Amino acid sequence: MPAEPMISCEALTKRFGHFTAVDQVSFSVAKGSIFGFLGPNGSGKSTVIRMLCGLLEPSDGRASLAGFDVATQTEDIKHLIGYMSQKFSLYDELTVHENLNFYGRLYGLSGAALKQRYDELITLTHLEPYLHRRAGLLSGGWRQRLAMACALVHKPTVLFLDEPTAGIDPVARRELWDLLFEFSSRGMTLFVTTHYMDEAERCSHVGYIYLSKLVVCGEPDDLKQLPVVNPPDAKRIDVTCDHVTVGLQAIRKLPGVRTATVFGQSMHLLVNKNVSEESVRAELAKHNIPHVDIRPIAPSLEDVFVALTNTAANGGPK
Amino acid sequence: MKTPFRGFTAILYKEFLVVMRDPFTLFFMMFPPLIEMIAFGYALDTDVKNMKTIVFDENRTEESRALVQQFENTGNFKIVGEAQSITELAELIRRGKAYVGIQIPPEFTRDLHAGRSAKFQVLVDGSNSTIASAALNTSLNVGFLNSIRALANRFGLRDVPVEVRPQILYNPEMRSPNFFLPGVIGIVLQIATTFTTAMSLVRERERGTLEQLMVSPLSRWGLMLGKLVPYLILGMLMSVVLFTLMRWVFHVPIAGDLSALMLGTFLYVFTLLSLGLLISTRAQNQMQALQMSMVFILPSVFFSGFIFPRETMPQIFYAISTVIPATYYIELERALILRGASIHDFWFHFVVLATMGLGLFSLCVLRFRKTLA
Repeated sequence: MPAEPMISCEALTKRFGHFTAVDQVSFSVAKGSIFGFLGPNGSGKSTVIRMLCGLLEPSDGRASLAGFDVATQTEDIKHLIGYMSQKFSLYDELTVHENLNFYGRLYGLSGAALKQRYDELITLTHLEPYLHRRAGLLSGGWRQRLAMACALVHKPTVLFLDEPTAGIDPVARRELWDLLFEFSSRGMTLFVTTHYMDEAERCSHVGYIYLSKLVVCGEPDDLKQLPVVNPPDAKRIDVTCDHVTVGLQAIRKLPGVRTATVFGQSMHLLVNKNVSEESVRAELAKHNIPHVDIRPIAPSLEDVFVALTNTAANGGPK
Repeated sequence: MKTPFRGFTAILYKEFLVVMRDPFTLFFMMFPPLIEMIAFGYALDTDVKNMKTIVFDENRTEESRALVQQFENTGNFKIVGEAQSITELAELIRRGKAYVGIQIPPEFTRDLHAGRSAKFQVLVDGSNSTIASAALNTSLNVGFLNSIRALANRFGLRDVPVEVRPQILYNPEMRSPNFFLPGVIGIVLQIATTFTTAMSLVRERERGTLEQLMVSPLSRWGLMLGKLVPYLILGMLMSVVLFTLMRWVFHVPIAGDLSALMLGTFLYVFTLLSLGLLISTRAQNQMQALQMSMVFILPSVFFSGFIFPRETMPQIFYAISTVIPATYYIELERALILRGASIHDFWFHFVVLATMGLGLFSLCVLRFRKTLA
C-alpha cells in the first residue's frame, strides 16, 4: 500500500432534484498516477470533477484531496488544483500573453516570479509565435495548450482535465499526452476524462462510470482479466476479411456469436467456445467473402467497457 | 496572501483589458446616453411657443386686428392662416393644420364701444394637454387684460389696481433643459451603468470562465471589487462628459459646489453598479440580466420625480420612489445644479446613497457563492 492517496471518494453522491447525477461513487487515486475517467455523455464524469474541485457540494458521501475535505476545506484545495474545463475557458478578447499573465496574478504571482513561470510555461507549450494573438483567434490545439498553461501557472499538485482532447487533431492529442506523461513522472497527479479508448489505454488507472454509478476501477491490464470480460465458455477472435460490414450482418446471425463489432478492416467477435473457425469461414463464404483471416485476441479496454455496460444495463443496478 | 481582497488586482487588470477590447460594450455604454441628452436637450421642450393659430375674423375692424395682434405678441401664438367660416375653422383644427382657432364675431367692435360685453371665441385642440392648457391660459390672460384696460379707461384710471410682479428663481427663463437635463443625466447614468456590471459577470458565467475563477483562490470581495472599479471609473468619466455637455452645449449653469456634485455622482454610480452585480448573481444568461435591469430602470424613469413630481403620486408609487436611488440623486442634482444648495443642506441624500451602495455591494458579495448552482 503506497502512502495516503491523493484523491479519495467514499460513496460520493450528487443529486439534482430527483435526478441522481452521481450515485455512491468510491475510488481513490494515488499520487503521481494518471487516472482516466470514462463513461458516456451525461454519465456524471464532469459532476465528479466539479465536486473534487469544490465547485459542487456533494449531496452525500465525502471526498478528500491531499487530505483536505473538498466540501468543507474548499479554499485549502484551491491552490493545489489546476482545472481545465471542457470549454478551455479563456478570455477570447485577451491575447495569449495577457491570459497567462492574468491567471498568474490570480494565483498571487507577480514580478520576477510571474515572469519566470511565464517563460517556463511558454517554453513547455511552444506558444511563443502566438504571444500577441487573441485567444479567440487561436485554433483548437493552441487554445488547448493555452488553457493548459493557464491551469498549470501555480504548479498544481493535481491537474483535472475534462475532455482535454475533444475536437483536437491527432498530432495535438499525441503532444498533449507526451506532456501529461512528463508531468506524471515529476509527481503530478492527473485526472483525465476522455471518450477515446486509445487514451484510456495510456492511463495508469481507469474508472468507468455508467448511469451515475462507478462500474469498475483499476489498472487497464487487470480490468482485461475480469471474468465478466472473459467468460469461461467463450473466446475472443479477430476476423479480417473483405466487405466487413456485409460480413458483420451475416456473422451476427450465426448461432453462438455473442457480440460482433467492426474495427477498421476487421471485426472483433465474442463467441461460444464451441464455435469453430470453419463455421465462421463457411458462413462468410455464403456471402461471397472468400478470403478470411482468423486469429485469437485479448480483450481491449473497449471490450471491457462494452461487457461491463451490458452487464450493468441488464441486471446490475436495480 | 490570505487577504480579504485576494485576486482583486488580477481581476482589475483583466477587466480593464476586456472593456478596452470590446468596443461594442463601450459603444453601448457611451452612445445612447449622448443621444438621450441631445433628445431631451433640444427636442423635448415643454415651453409652448408659436402655436399654430388660424383666425376667422367676421368683424374686420381695427379693434379686431389689434386683438389678434395681442395674441401674436404673447409669443405663444403664430397666425398661420385665415378661415372663411366657423366650419372651416373647426375642420382645420381637426386636420391638425392649427392647434388654436380665434373667431371674432361681426358685433365685436360695436359691443366693445357700446359698453356691452364684447365676446370672441377661442377653439383649442385638447388632444395635446400641454398645448391646450398653455393656449387656454394665454387666451384668458389676453381677455382679462383687455377687460381691465377697458374698465380702467371707463373710470379714467391710469394704473391697474393690483399688479403681480412674479420672479422665477433659479431658472428665470423657465427653460425646460434646466429642469430636465439634470434628471436625464441621472436616468442615463442608471441605464448605462447597471447593464455593464450585470452583463459582465453573466457573460463569464455563460462562457465558463467564471467556473475557472471559482477553482482559483480568488476571494469574493476581490472578484466583486475588481468587477466594479473599472466601470466606476468609466461611469465617472461619462458623468463628466454629460455634465460638460449640459453646461456648455445646453447652457444649464451649475450653481452649486462641483465637488459635492461629483461626490453624489460617485455614490450614485457605485450604488447602480452594485445593483448590476446583484442582478448578475441571480441571472443565468445575458437575456435575463437585461430583463432584470429593465425591471429596475423603468420605475426609476417614472417614479423618481424625473418627469412627474413625487408629491402628486399615489401613495404606493411614492413609497416605491423612496427606495429608488435615482430619486435621491435627481433631487440632489437639481438642488446642487439649479439652486446652488450645499452639501450641508442635503447631507441626508448623500447618506442614503452611500448606505444603499454599501448595502447592495455587501449583499452581492455575500450572495455570491464560489460553487455552481
